[in-house]
Amino acid sequence: MRFDTVIIGGGLAGLTAGISLQEAGRKVAIVSAGQNAMHFFSGNFEDAGPVRDRVAALFAAAGVRTNATDGLQLMAMGKFKNVSLTLEDVTVFPDEHIAEKVLLVNFAGYHDFFGTFIAETLENLGISCRIRFVRLAEMESLRTSPSEMRSVNIARMMDEYWEKVVTDIRVLHKDEDLILLPQVFGLKDAAVLDKIRKALPARVAFVGTMPPSVPGIRTQMLLKHRFEVLGGTFLMGDEVTSAALHEGIISSITTRNLDTVRLFADHFIIATGGFFSKGLVSTPTQVYEPLIGLDMDYSEDRNAWYNEEFFESQPYMNFGVKTDAELHPFKDGEPIRNMYAIGSILGNTRKEDFGTAAGLAIRTAFAAADAIKGGNV
Amino acid sequence: MKNNEYDVIIVGGGITGAGTARDCAMRGLRVLLVERYDIATGATGRNHGLLHSGARYAVTDQESANECIRENMILRRIASHCVDETDGFFITLPEDDLNYQTKFFESCLSAGIHAEIMDPKEALRMEPSINPDIIGAVKVPDGSVDPFRLCAANMLDAKLHGAQVLLYSEVTGFIKDGDRIVGIKTFNHQTHKTGEYYANITVNAAGIWGHHIAELAGVNIDMVPAKGALLIFAHRVNGIVINRCRKPSNADILVPGDTVCIIGTTSTKIPFDKCDTVTVTPDEVNLLIEEGAKLAPALASTRILRAFAGVRPLVAADSNDSRNISRGIVCLDHEKREGLKGFISITGGKLTTYRLMAEMATDLVCEKLSVNKPCETANAPLPGSDGKSFREVAQKIWDNPTTGQKAAAGRLGTGVTNIPAASSLDQSLICECEQVSVGEINSAIERWDVNGLRDLRRRTRVGMGPCQGELCSCRAAGLLAKAHGCTDRARADLQRFMTERWKGMYPIGWGDALREAEYTQWIYKHVLGV
Repeated sequence: MRFDTVIIGGGLAGLTAGISLQEAGRKVAIVSAGQNAMHFFSGNFEDAGPVRDRVAALFAAAGVRTNATDGLQLMAMGKFKNVSLTLEDVTVFPDEHIAEKVLLVNFAGYHDFFGTFIAETLENLGISCRIRFVRLAEMESLRTSPSEMRSVNIARMMDEYWEKVVTDIRVLHKDEDLILLPQVFGLKDAAVLDKIRKALPARVAFVGTMPPSVPGIRTQMLLKHRFEVLGGTFLMGDEVTSAALHEGIISSITTRNLDTVRLFADHFIIATGGFFSKGLVSTPTQVYEPLIGLDMDYSEDRNAWYNEEFFESQPYMNFGVKTDAELHPFKDGEPIRNMYAIGSILGNTRKEDFGTAAGLAIRTAFAAADAIKGGNV
Repeated sequence: MKNNEYDVIIVGGGITGAGTARDCAMRGLRVLLVERYDIATGATGRNHGLLHSGARYAVTDQESANECIRENMILRRIASHCVDETDGFFITLPEDDLNYQTKFFESCLSAGIHAEIMDPKEALRMEPSINPDIIGAVKVPDGSVDPFRLCAANMLDAKLHGAQVLLYSEVTGFIKDGDRIVGIKTFNHQTHKTGEYYANITVNAAGIWGHHIAELAGVNIDMVPAKGALLIFAHRVNGIVINRCRKPSNADILVPGDTVCIIGTTSTKIPFDKCDTVTVTPDEVNLLIEEGAKLAPALASTRILRAFAGVRPLVAADSNDSRNISRGIVCLDHEKREGLKGFISITGGKLTTYRLMAEMATDLVCEKLSVNKPCETANAPLPGSDGKSFREVAQKIWDNPTTGQKAAAGRLGTGVTNIPAASSLDQSLICECEQVSVGEINSAIERWDVNGLRDLRRRTRVGMGPCQGELCSCRAAGLLAKAHGCTDRARADLQRFMTERWKGMYPIGWGDALREAEYTQWIYKHVLGV
């Protein structure tokens, strides 16, 4: 099989690059191992500022609505964080005085939404906050197994029963001007968010929960759908098994599911993620990139991998594959001229040029796609 | 009688202090126990959790070996819900001297330990994780004991017999009347208030910190802090304890406990000022894995959960090698020793022999107070081990117990009846790794002096599983915030808890452990915004 570009990794970076290339009429395949970091996305595209309008447009075409507004996000444990581009699920507040009176609604027995913490933050700001619980008969089936009260399971129910919750909230509501709800709505269809907003007698804001992230999963599904609608080939649940590399050019790869059928392409993008996604692998003595054995930028002294303080930035997070200015990774000291490394596989090695986190994923994805569209191999 | 006067004050909330408080309270004394932090924060919570058969000491110290086997048999009765009767093997590897096995076997028998020489093939059949190259194996009645559970049960029973327990209260000085200690001064780390408490006798049961307590009292115990490093593996690789049949050395005991197994230990002398901040070095980690894999080769490829270290309270002899110092029980009557009345130190010993240590200390207290009541702790079961087995109890309350309910019954024994489980809300899980329910956590907060997440972990195992608290700690923090009515405190507590978990994770921070760490650090920073 032959493509213009094969992308290894179907997370935020891989999908953004894939859509961008398909929009330009290129023929692209994405090889995806399955779950990715979108599943624990906060909804905030941190560090995406420089490409804000471009990513908002790309997402909008995929049906993913964003808030391209500078302001504050109310975080899951009650702190505020500066944002400039978020998913529409995240309500962006101009300042900390988010309301006069707040009604915070949770599901009885759902411990992954931290109402008590949020309420105290608000009370400290002089905002009264009432916490109330709804308990739907339909949700009792979730409780028969004590580990089922988790965001995605609730969200699946809410796709069907959100109107009942709205009815309950209308009864609970008194004179509050803001209603806070957990981000467990609109897993299948983000339009539900608007319907809830319209059906309730006050402003509504959705606040994050413990992962899995319902907005993140929905976004990932929409982006994948967009990529496929544009004609892209998404190989789900597959893994790259080998790459044919000769004189600084990769000509083809093989995958586990396709067995002997080789995927040929002019360009390759590696977007396999960081440690959690197994794009990077660590042992007691080294950190390596497992697919191709790309050259790494890291410390060989394990003592230098960690900061003793959990909440400080950790040196291991800086580790990533080594790249040149155009994001070409190296193998045995030589750049691979038709491959680009994008997203978390870079760690913080390119932080100054491309930022971190979601911003890194998107900005390096655009950079790689632009280079490929420009045709400079 | 004022409300700050007691017959006996016990300093130290480890297993020795808890056991002594229980024994004293059962003999009718008015007891106060003070502990600097929480229960089992010192060596009690930082060891293998091995219920010694005594075999390890049989060759070098017959007296200790005999104490161990007697106490081992007692704990199986009185603390059945804390003990896992696994048995143990002492294996001989090709590089070891098989002649030592003969000497070892005979020494076990003479110490009263029921040892049995096994055909290596039969040993491998019984415990398939053992190194298949073994040339000899001896079966002994070792076991596994949950030290947190044991300590909590002793503490609870002491309180049920009238003892008062002050946690987070550090002894800052003694009140003297001439040549007699008549009381203590304390500082509470949570309320930041000072206190004074009076008693005829004060028992120093503070483990390695007993050195400092003795100094405050004006006497000297020549102790040697010996650090031991250990690793916890994410699976229960072995079902039977595996020891190396040779002179005690590094990393030669592998103990299964609950869902994990623990390899250890090392033995290194450290200065007193390092006792509060022991950490595990990469060299120690490497040594533990390398030596551990000789006992059970699967350890080389098993995920490690965390590394930790404890400090043994050894009492000095004339040797420089910390392994040759006696691990026997030391009960010091400072009146006879230095002429200081009203002050006793109980130290040395082992987790397995804590009850005997408590009995010796309490006998001395009673002698001084002219109380003539015999010790009953060897026969009276601890709360949780009273009555029938927990399985029968579980069956009485639940027709068809879930995994979580079985886990709770395993932790609490018959005490599981105290957990609210009436509604599905009580049964929902906070900690999925260890299957701890909302009901169990709320019950621990109510009954067991839980001030924060770390206290909760010692009483319920919340955060001890493979995820190391990444998800459950936030949920539990929510319950604590509700119970204590303060989220700022709960948030700060959550930060301390995660910092503490990380301290045991980064020494083994590679492979899946690093993946988990990256995920956790991401969630806390970007998703939760802690």
